[in-house]
Parts: sequence; structure tokens; C-alpha cells
Amino acid sequence: MEEILSNEVDLEEDTQRGRFLTFSLERESYGIEIRYVTEIIGIQSITQVPELPDYVKGIINLRGKIIPVMDVRLRFKKEPRDYNDRTCIIVVDIKNISIGLIVDSVTEVITIPEEEIVDPPQINKGSQNRYINKIGKVGNDVKLLLDCEKLFTEDELEDLHDAL
Amino acid sequence: MKKVLIVDDAQFMRLAIRNILEKNQFEVAGEAANGIEAIQKYKELKPDIVTMDLTMPEMTGIEALKAIMEYDRGAKVVVVSALGQEVQIKEAVINGARSFIVKPIKEEHLVNTLNKILDINKSI
Amino acid sequence: MSEEYINEPMLEMFLFESTQLIEQLEQSILDSDKEKCYTKTAINEIFRIMHTIKGSSAMMMFSEISGLAHSIEDLFYYIREENPQNIDCSALSDLILEGIDFIKIELEKIKNKDSADGKATTLIGTIKEFLYGLQQANNYKNIDKTKQKVEESKKQYYISQDKVITTVYKNAFKATIYFEDGCEMENIRAYTIIHNLNDITKEIYHIPEDIIEDEESVDIIKRDGFIVYLKSDLSYEKMFEFFKQTIFLKELELTQLENEDEFKQFLSEEPSEIQKKDYQIPKEQGKIKTNVTQSISQQSIISVNVSKLDKLMDLVGEMVIAEAMVIQNPDLRGLELDNFQKAAVQLSKITSEIQDMVMSVRMVPLSATFHKMNRIVRDMCKKLGKEVELKIIGEETEVDKNIIEHISDPLMHLVRNAIDHGFESVKNRELKGKSKSGTLTLEAKNSGSDVLIIVKDDGKGLNKEQILKKARENDLLYKNAEDMSDREIYNLILLPGFSTKEKVSEFSGRGVGMDVVSKNIETIGGTLSIESALDKGTMITLKIPLTLAIIDGMNIKVGNSTYTIPTISIRESFRPKEKDIIIDPDNNEMIMVRGQCYPILRIHEIYKVDTKVTNFTEGIIIMVEQDDKLLCIFADELIGQQQVVVKALPEYIRNFKKIKGIAGCTLLGDGRISLILDIGGLIDKR
Repeated sequence: MEEILSNEVDLEEDTQRGRFLTFSLERESYGIEIRYVTEIIGIQSITQVPELPDYVKGIINLRGKIIPVMDVRLRFKKEPRDYNDRTCIIVVDIKNISIGLIVDSVTEVITIPEEEIVDPPQINKGSQNRYINKIGKVGNDVKLLLDCEKLFTEDELEDLHDAL
Repeated sequence: MKKVLIVDDAQFMRLAIRNILEKNQFEVAGEAANGIEAIQKYKELKPDIVTMDLTMPEMTGIEALKAIMEYDRGAKVVVVSALGQEVQIKEAVINGARSFIVKPIKEEHLVNTLNKILDINKSI
Repeated sequence: MSEEYINEPMLEMFLFESTQLIEQLEQSILDSDKEKCYTKTAINEIFRIMHTIKGSSAMMMFSEISGLAHSIEDLFYYIREENPQNIDCSALSDLILEGIDFIKIELEKIKNKDSADGKATTLIGTIKEFLYGLQQANNYKNIDKTKQKVEESKKQYYISQDKVITTVYKNAFKATIYFEDGCEMENIRAYTIIHNLNDITKEIYHIPEDIIEDEESVDIIKRDGFIVYLKSDLSYEKMFEFFKQTIFLKELELTQLENEDEFKQFLSEEPSEIQKKDYQIPKEQGKIKTNVTQSISQQSIISVNVSKLDKLMDLVGEMVIAEAMVIQNPDLRGLELDNFQKAAVQLSKITSEIQDMVMSVRMVPLSATFHKMNRIVRDMCKKLGKEVELKIIGEETEVDKNIIEHISDPLMHLVRNAIDHGFESVKNRELKGKSKSGTLTLEAKNSGSDVLIIVKDDGKGLNKEQILKKARENDLLYKNAEDMSDREIYNLILLPGFSTKEKVSEFSGRGVGMDVVSKNIETIGGTLSIESALDKGTMITLKIPLTLAIIDGMNIKVGNSTYTIPTISIRESFRPKEKDIIIDPDNNEMIMVRGQCYPILRIHEIYKVDTKVTNFTEGIIIMVEQDDKLLCIFADELIGQQQVVVKALPEYIRNFKKIKGIAGCTLLGDGRISLILDIGGLIDKR
């Protein structure tokens, strides 16, 4: 029984492997592994919570469930931009924590074959690309693939840096 | 289906016995947690057979057994007991218990005992 | 678990009931220990509890628990039956408490789905030794008894209800009976046959002859079967039918005897020796008690899984939100709807009744939590050589089940602390002219929507100088010692990194300080306050909310945001007048109300909210109170009062830091989120 179950999970993971939801921030195109994504919603009213880093915009009510939202632009230290009707919230579930990621717009879901995914060039590790663990090539385009878990886990480190 | 009254002060034991009985096509007519309740329930539910724990607060199984036998000479009571209680079981048998089973209860022991007692021809 | 009928509910029931019994047992032991003697009732109770646990755990195949329970049962059986003198009660209590601890730990393991791998062998050995010691000391009449047994057994050659056999039966039979393997107590089963045969005939002989007293009879019956000779008027068929009814019958050989030769072996003995009373058991004098009412009332109580109650609570919370969404629906604004209003009022009434009911279902008395402390007091006093009596007041006070879980540990810690640090040694107490034995009072009482739990000792009290010194050493002084009130000084011990004792003691020094206690209390919205007097004692008061889930709240508006203030903290609200506003040289804003001056806190400023209302006269002042401290909150306007369901902020947010002044959040009728203000936090923040 357990075997069958785990096979199914494998199967599901198989169908999801290599599939990415792409979104854009400024001129760059990013990709996020589809298995993290639970849904995509339009921008909605956000309740501000005081004393948080600026990239955490506050909390939203997702059908009775209260989840935090993070502005990815601000997280990547880019210029803020007013939200409009193209602005989207990608709700992701990472290590059982739900969080909404605010992005300029969502593009599409694509499959990137494994051989087209490469390590990012090792220039200096600026804050910009420490959330990017791979780069995917699609035709002539390049998609920056997000390391979702880093979006949270680096927080304490960064807070420390800020404090110093 | 034959109706059984389960008498035991331990809720766990009642559940254990109930599980076994319901799995084996008995109807659990009721449960009692002590001797006094057992007597009331017996009169009220008129079960075909009773499983009776001996060590209970308020009123022991033996006393309840005596009272039930006084009320109904034909009552079928099976004592549920543990090793080391030989003396009490003997007393229970003297006072009309049809048989006894020993804890920890084994499913087939309980089922076979009850079935056999229920089958017994009353003519003897 | 090999038995098929053992399932999850049974395991749950086993855990539930065993835990309950163990707690009951512990209480009984502690009570007896205090009285320095074990009463007959207590002995009976302990025996019965161990008997039950033995049975249940054996069924669940937890053999170590069952074995341990068995050994304690044996011990108490002996105590009950023989009533030995000079029992070392204290040693007995220690032993049984050790057993209780073992079972508790195993139950905990089982609960956590770990394997119950503890071994009780040593403890069982100790218990057996204790029993043996008792038997020796009391010159156990075993020896006499065996002698008696030998004498008696000589007499027991056959069983008969009458000494003189007057009836002459037509037929003679020999029956050999084998019982099924593993049916247990073959001798009693044999006895049952004989007992039933007594209805048919008076002339019965059997091998083995002594089936009750002789312990070997069980083995003989297993090996050779149980052989019965009897005479009867019944036919072979009827007799066969009779024996066939034997329960656990494996094999039956029944032969009709042609002559009585085989009976002669029994008759050679003197029949006059037969004693009818051999098989009679002294009748217990206990009469049927008539306290029927009690057993009936038990019937009307059922036990419910807590997770179901939690779920129910959540649903009620959802319902309260849904109700607000309907009644305060923006679509209704400006409409005159008489019938709707009437129906809405009715709905609100029912909702609030359901809510009260669900709350009350979740309420549990504090008694179990309080009584747990008995054990701690006893153990610690014994180890530290102190004498402390625990006094419990108001144990019937009820609080939400969730809250009980949260205060159990802090309370335990406070009690440990009190005994370890609070009370003097017996000698020191006598030197001070105090009673030899200290008194630790645990008290609970209701106070509005809070419950107060007070831990009070009559020990040495807190030493202010020492606290200040310690705080200075640890760099915890946040202002001049001279400027500090007593209360502020005492509160220093609640700071992280403060510990008054140099060496870590076994009990209170497990790396858990008062700061953790205070934190734990705060997480459930409670507060902790300390009062103390040198040589008189210390009193720690925990103020705990009755429930966590739903509060009465006042919604206020600041810019586009909504905040909720617990109604219980609100004293009054009013539109301020320009002339009452005072600004001190440091630019602190204050307001004068009836001759008193209170600080003002602008929500839009501290939470950086954009609003057009920055002029005091345009907005509203809400005066709030917490722990006798007052604060005036400035907001744009009041929206209205409603019951709100308290939700925690998402974990991700909470992980950043504890946001001072925000207790949680709630959903409004229109689906927006309102932040619930934590008044205590706001007062501290200022």
C-alpha cells in the first residue's frame, strides 16, 4: 500500500519535474518550480503589520486563512513600483508555510529540460543573485530560477547584516 | 442476535469486550461499570448473557452475581477474571456463574464460551 | 498487536483510562503518605487500580507495565488480606510512586507512538523483596498455613454435599475430561464440573482429588485429564450430553461402568472425615449498598476527544465571522429592513448562546493541575529535608482546556521554585520563631473575564538587595536602583539571564528561569505579578484569561486600517478638547481628564499609517487600562463593537520578532483583516 502511494507521489513529482511558472520583474524573467505553487491571485487589499522589513507588505485573507505577502521586487532590492491590474500574488507553500509573492506579472508555465539548466555564472555573489540557484535556457531567453527556500531562510542572516 | 451485558469497571475492558462481541455477531445490550449498575441493567435490558468482572468498586462482581441470580435463577453469567483469583472464581461458580474466562481475554475463548453457554440445553 | 480486535480507539481508551487511573492512584498514595498510613479504602483502591491496569496492559501486550502492575497488585493483596503491622509507609509510597513514574513514562511513549521499551525487572524485583520483607517481619503464617493445608488435604478425599449417601443410583460412570490448551485455571474448570454435577448426583469421586488447594492439580489435569467417577440415575446419553457442555472441552471419554470395583479406591477411606465446609468460602458480610443515584449520574457523562472540541470551537469562530459578514454586509448599508433586523437579532442571540455553550464545554476545573503539585511538594521536601504543607483553595475554578495545558508547566516551576528557594530549612524556621512546617498555598479564583492563580509561600521572602546586586552583576539594571519601586525590583527576576541561586539545584535549576515562566504566561495573554515581604513570604499571582479564542472587541479606524481593542480593557472613549491637551518639553503628548493627566499614544504614528486625522479634535481618544496603568489611544474613529475570533499572526511574521502591542488578528465582516491591539504591550512600548 505504502509503495503504491509513494509511487504515485513519485509520479506526480515526475510530471512536475522541470516545470516552472515564469514571472517577470522589470525586464528579467524568473522561474519558480511549479511544485511550490498553490495558486495565483490578483492583487488585493493588504493589511499592513508594523515593525516588519519593508519587503513584507503585510497579511491577506485568503478564504479565511491569513497569509503573509512579500514583495519580491523589494526582496531583490529593486525599485518599488505601484501595483496595477497585472500585478499578481503567487501563493507558494514551502516547508508547510504559505506565503504570497507579489510580482509584476505572471507569464506562463514552461518545461525546461534538465540539460538546459545550468549553474549561474560565478561572478561576485551579490545580494541580487543569491536567491537564484540555476539558470534555465529557453530558446534565446534566459530564465532565472528561484531558490524558494532561500527566500525565507536567509532572513536571520540578513537581519544580522542589517544590524551590524 | 444474542444480547450481552458487559460488566467491568474499566472502560477499556468494556471496549475490548465490545469489539470482540460485535465482531462475532453478538449484540451488546449495555454496559455497566459496577455491581449496582449491573443489577439495574440486568433487570432493565434482560440480556441473554452477562460478562462479569469480579474486581469492581461500589459492589463486587460476586455480590452483583448473587443479586442477579436471586432475581433470575436462569441468568447466564460468565465471570471475567485474572490469574490469582481462583478463590473468587470458585465462589462465583458456587453462586451460579456458568463459566469463567481469564484475562487477558482471547477472542476465541470469549466467543466460544459465550456460544457454548447460550447453546446449552436448559433441560439438564 | 496480534489480536485483530485491537484497534486505534482501544489504544486511545487504554491510554486515557490508564492515565486517569494512574493519576488517581498517585493521589491516593500521596494522601496516604501524608496521613502516614494506608487506610483499608486506600489499599482496596490501589489494589483495584493495579488489577485493572494489569488486565488492560496485558491485553494491549505491554508486558512490562502488566508485570509491574501485577507485582504491586500482589503486594497490596498481601497487605489487604494479612493486614501486616509496622509497614514502612514512606518506603512503600516511594516504591509505588516509582512504579507510577515508570508506567507514566511508558504511557507517554505509547502516546507518542514510540515503543514502550522500558524494563521494569529491577523495580519488580524490589517490590517482591519488599513483599518478602513484610512477610518475614510479620512472620507470615505461610508455614502454619501449609501445615494446616496438609492436615486438611488428608481429609479431602471426595466431594459430597452430604456425609451419608442414602440414595442408591442406577448407573455408574467414569469420565475423563481434557481441557483445551491455554484455557487457564483447569482446576477451577474441573471444580465447575463437580459443582454442576452436584445437581445431578451426590456420589462423585475424582482424580486429582484435591483440585483447589493443591497447586499441582492444574498440571495433573493438563497431563492426565480430569477423571470423574460418579453414580447417577441418568442414562449414558444424558450424562454424555452433560459433559459435552463443558466449556473449553477438548476431549471427553465417558464409559458406563459395569460394576463398582473402581469406586472402592475411594471408599476405603473413612467417609466420616469428609467435611462439607471444605468448599465453602466465608461469606462476605458486605451488603448491597443503596447509593444508586451516583451510578445513574455517571451515565449522563460522555468523554469527547479534545480535537473534536477544538474543531467545534473553530467552527463556532467561523460562524461568528460569517454572521458578521451577513449582518454587516456592505450591500445592506442605507437600507431599512425591519424583518431582516429582527431575524438578525435572533441569529446573533443564538450564535452567542452556542458560543457560550461551546466555551463552557471546554471548561475544566483546575483541580487535576493543582493536585499534581502534591507530588512535587512531597518529593522535593523529602530530598531537601524541608517541611511544607500544600494548601489548595478554589480548585473547582474552571478555565479553558487549552489554557490548562499552558499553565501546568509554569505552575510546576513556581512550586518548585518556592520550595527550593522560598522556604527556609526547618532549623532556620524555628530560629525565626516560625512554625516548623511551611505552608504553600495554591489558590484559584475568578475575576471578571480572568482567572487569578496565586502561589503563596510563608517563607523567607525576596531579598531586594540580593536581587539588585545580582541584576547589577548581570547588567540587567535599566535604571537607578534608588528610583525603582519594590515591584520593579521584584520584576527583575523575570528578566532573561537572571537567576538568584549560584549553583544549579536539581529541581529549579534545569536551565529554566522565571523568565520562561513569565514568557509562557504571556503567550496565553496572561500576566505575572510578584509581591513579597522579607521573612513573611512571597506571593506570585498569575492572571489568566478564561479563554483564548473569542473576545469582545471594539473596532477602531486609523487611515485605511482597522484595529481591534479588547472591550474589557476600555475605560471610556471621548472626543478630546483642545484645551485638555498638554505637551511637555520633550514633546510628549498628554491629556487632562477630570484633573488627572494621561499619556497619549497616536496609533498612526507608532504604526506609521497614513491618515488625514492627525489633529486631536478631529479624532477620538480611547482610554484603556491594563494592570492599573492607563493610556489614551488616539484613533480616527470608532467603528463599532463586535465579538471577534482571535487568530494568531502567520508563523512567518511571528518569526521576525514579537511585535509589541499586537496580540493577533481577526477577520472583519467584510473580509478585511483587523489587528488586535495588546494593551499591555502598548503601555510597555511607550
